[in-house]
Amino acid sequence: MASMWQEFSKGLWKEIPPFRVVLGLCPTLAVTKSAENGLGMGVAVIFVLVLSNVLISAVRGIIPKKVRIVCFIAISATLVVAVELLMQAFTYPLYQQLGIFVPLIVVNCIILGRAEAFAAKNPVHLALADGLGMGMGFTIALTLIGSIRELLGTGGIFGHNVMWNGFEPFGIMVEAPGAFLALGTVVALMNFYTAWAARRAGLEVPENASCQGGCSGCATGQR
Amino acid sequence: MREIASMIVVLSVICGISGFALSYLKQTTQPIIESQVLRYVQGPTIRNVFPAATNNPIEERKEVALSTGLTTVFPFRVEGKLVGVALETQGKGYGGNIGVMVGFDVQRDVLLGIGITQMKETPGLGTNVAQPRFTGQFPGKGLEIALKSAGGTIDAVSGATISSTGTVLAVQQAATLYKELKPQISQLWP
Repeated sequence: MASMWQEFSKGLWKEIPPFRVVLGLCPTLAVTKSAENGLGMGVAVIFVLVLSNVLISAVRGIIPKKVRIVCFIAISATLVVAVELLMQAFTYPLYQQLGIFVPLIVVNCIILGRAEAFAAKNPVHLALADGLGMGMGFTIALTLIGSIRELLGTGGIFGHNVMWNGFEPFGIMVEAPGAFLALGTVVALMNFYTAWAARRAGLEVPENASCQGGCSGCATGQR
Repeated sequence: MREIASMIVVLSVICGISGFALSYLKQTTQPIIESQVLRYVQGPTIRNVFPAATNNPIEERKEVALSTGLTTVFPFRVEGKLVGVALETQGKGYGGNIGVMVGFDVQRDVLLGIGITQMKETPGLGTNVAQPRFTGQFPGKGLEIALKSAGGTIDAVSGATISSTGTVLAVQQAATLYKELKPQISQLWP
């Protein structure tokens, strides 16, 4: 039980995608024009990620090593088409908003990344916890970016106006560049907080919390 | 050899199960998806064609066999009395087909209004055919519709001759279908 909680909670902060595990950037940048879109995309990813993790973990014993990637993609593609059909049948307006990005979940690196790195090596209950945690982390992240962009770009959150009268919306935040601004700012704040917390606890401050290697390492090519 | 066989078997089984699961899901969701598309894509256009209707034209729609094949026809009622019908036709535009929903007044044989259901025209030019300035010219016009350049009464959108022609062509087609449909209307929606 303790290990399940550990696998679940790591997706919510320590390895939260896409801030810490910088995967799945295409939907992160493309669909987060509003908080609602971010939430919808996140829920679709939770569905696919949890089921693909569980299924892949369940059949991990019988999949030959050489064709494992093909099998993973076949399973996740099936789930994505299922999500697309269900979305069209029950939440059509959301499907109209997300459009092409729903079928593109199949090439979302988080799905294949968790399948290869976790589900293929761990029992079903841990894979379930991992998928749920990662999916919820992704949903929280997308809703957060969507809220920031919607708040600054239109003055509302989830379609409700919350800013004061006379607030002049920053149109750029709901355009493509706004996605980069919002994502970059959140990642910077998270790194700043991590460094601050480590310094306060008296630990050594990692030079770059995200990649652990430090920028100088990459720049000089020593690592 | 055994390895290759196991690869083939495992992959085939996974793909087979996926195929069956998806075809089942597709079959079960198909009718729901169709009604959703009608509601969210064509529904708003139909309502705009004749906002005074008090019935639900989508629920009372009927497939009618006309010379061009099966056509879906949507009836408009005001307090139970049939006042008009709408049907969708396609006209060739600049970037593909333009779908036009055309409404007809069944008592006076004139147009109730038109609405664009789908198009891929040039934004800011061709897309202006969906603006009220263009579509607003149609209500009340008789069944012989043509652009002013062709001796008719409709002003084309300036700079978007192809899109305007395509839209008018779709309306003309709808008028032809309407004439064919006219004798059956009172039996279809008493």
